[in-house]
Amino acid sequence: MLSRLYAWLDSRLKLEPVKETLLDEPIPGGASWIYVFGSATLFLFLLQAITGIFLAVYYAPTPDHAYDSIRYIETQVLFGPFVRGLHHWGASAMVVAIGLHMLQVFLYGAYKPPRELMWMVGVLLLLLTMGFAFTGYLLPWDQNAYWATQVGINMVGSVPVVGTFLVKVMRGGDTLGALTLSRFFAVHVLFLPAAIMALIAMHMFILRRVGPAGPWSGGCERRGQPGGASLRQGRRAASLEERPPIERRVQRSEPFYPRQVFMDAMVMLGVFVVVVALALFVPFPLADKANPSDHNFIPVPEWYFLFYYQFLKYMEGPILGPIATWVIPMLFISLLLTLPFLDRHPERAPASRPAVIGIGVVFLVGVFVLIGLSLRDLRAMKRTDPAVAAGRALFERLQCTSCHRIHGEGGAIGPDLSYVGDHRDRDWLIKHFRDPQSTSPGSIMPKFPLNEQELNDLTAYMLSLKKRV
Amino acid sequence: MMVHDPTLSSSRRSFFTRLIVGVAGLIGISLAVPLSVYVTSPALKRRERRWLDAGPVSDLPVGEPTQRDLIMTVSDGYMEAAAVKGVWALRRATNEVTVYSPICTHLGCGFRWDGGEKKFKCPCHGSEYDPDGRVVGGPAPRPLDRLPVKVENGRLLVQYKEFNSGTKQQVEI
Repeated sequence: MLSRLYAWLDSRLKLEPVKETLLDEPIPGGASWIYVFGSATLFLFLLQAITGIFLAVYYAPTPDHAYDSIRYIETQVLFGPFVRGLHHWGASAMVVAIGLHMLQVFLYGAYKPPRELMWMVGVLLLLLTMGFAFTGYLLPWDQNAYWATQVGINMVGSVPVVGTFLVKVMRGGDTLGALTLSRFFAVHVLFLPAAIMALIAMHMFILRRVGPAGPWSGGCERRGQPGGASLRQGRRAASLEERPPIERRVQRSEPFYPRQVFMDAMVMLGVFVVVVALALFVPFPLADKANPSDHNFIPVPEWYFLFYYQFLKYMEGPILGPIATWVIPMLFISLLLTLPFLDRHPERAPASRPAVIGIGVVFLVGVFVLIGLSLRDLRAMKRTDPAVAAGRALFERLQCTSCHRIHGEGGAIGPDLSYVGDHRDRDWLIKHFRDPQSTSPGSIMPKFPLNEQELNDLTAYMLSLKKRV
Repeated sequence: MMVHDPTLSSSRRSFFTRLIVGVAGLIGISLAVPLSVYVTSPALKRRERRWLDAGPVSDLPVGEPTQRDLIMTVSDGYMEAAAVKGVWALRRATNEVTVYSPICTHLGCGFRWDGGEKKFKCPCHGSEYDPDGRVVGGPAPRPLDRLPVKVENGRLLVQYKEFNSGTKQQVEI
């Protein structure tokens, strides 16, 4: 059935040459599990695109509705938490896949001539992915989103001369608000996807023009033929024209289809299963709705920004601060982009280029040490008392917000409780909850039938509502 | 130029092809099913009908339709808004009340009770109904829509519903 349909289409559209072009790309040295990370990244990008499109079906990019629309997805839409979970964990998985892909290319020296452009476009793709991560983080409009973005944007402000202007452009004005959210949304779902699709196409185009690098024993092709023996001959400057004819390279290679495609497919399935499992079993709850007046909130960035978050802690002050917030990132990006021109050594085998590999190892060790330190600090951070959390849940369940307001949320019938912990003590609160009339004669607050545990929890929550923690 | 690995037999090649297609199909179906349900989710949801208080029955005059306001919370996705719908209640006997939807069955305008002529009259296209809701004039295709009603502790409780306008059959929206 399918083969007949294909034959029918082929007779009209002449698909066979297209199929050959797509599937018979020679893989120097044969198919290998080490080449799967690029495909895994592409797969995860597609997963992000699909889940993102579906999230947009319900999402509303305004401060009035963004949070509620995400909560609607989480609580009312069938498979809503699953789709949002796929998008959330897919983003993390994409960062991991890109990291591994870059590591493989770095180890194999695959950024060396003639693949400099492929590497540079790859670095731009990494930056676009970071852009996706940054702009996407704000969209749920919860406390974490709001305050983490506030910090991220403020870092841009440390750029000399144009910093303040750039910050205003990113916010769409003086404050982080409605205009920020709509421009972050537009960048996340329109600008960045257009740019990343163009660059992915360019990345693939370059790959097909220059071919995959193959094993590191192949040496640097521009300076000679693939293979260790030819490398020594090729040390003398050679031009691109001296590359071996394609047929000779093909002889030592294996076509992309079927074994490499099979390996790629198996890895995609593995990645998919992991992301699905995370989406199903590791909930990613919303924090409270963004509250611009709550300056006590301490945002924690996504794990892939943790190393940098930790690094910033050590780089404080008028000189070190700006060095960490823009000088080092700029230098790092420039270094990554120009790596093929800085590392001109023709050898590709890691053992033959100890300096570059050493720098890479130091960088990676540094990143992981910083992540470790950051996780240790986060674990040591004061956690919310479970009684406070239970009291807060009780407060929601009893619909106390119908009458009482906390930081702008809730009714105005009863007193505002934003800082009730500053002027009421435990005994007063317990007595009040047992019988509101006993402490506040004439109060219209109903007497809720609370047990001892609930009384304590609700009191703990009230006492936590203070100006200074 | 077709390049085939000579070491790969055609049966092994088709084995790989089947596996690859299988993996693609598995991922595709695992995404397509939840995403289809996700996108059709609002259409699959049954609307919750609540009994709304329309005031004490004893205040309704017998035989004379009276407008009563139903105050309800209308959920519109993630938004909620308070809405007031003025339904027409006709008390026939002590505890027997008929409640009409306030929307003309012709094209959805709001009609009025004309006490002099003892008719419900729609100002838009002149549809007319008698106190029992039967069409007695104008283009209305069906009688007035009746709403579910019950009396509890002397209070009139109504379920608010809306119906398609312009059809002979009563179709709930």
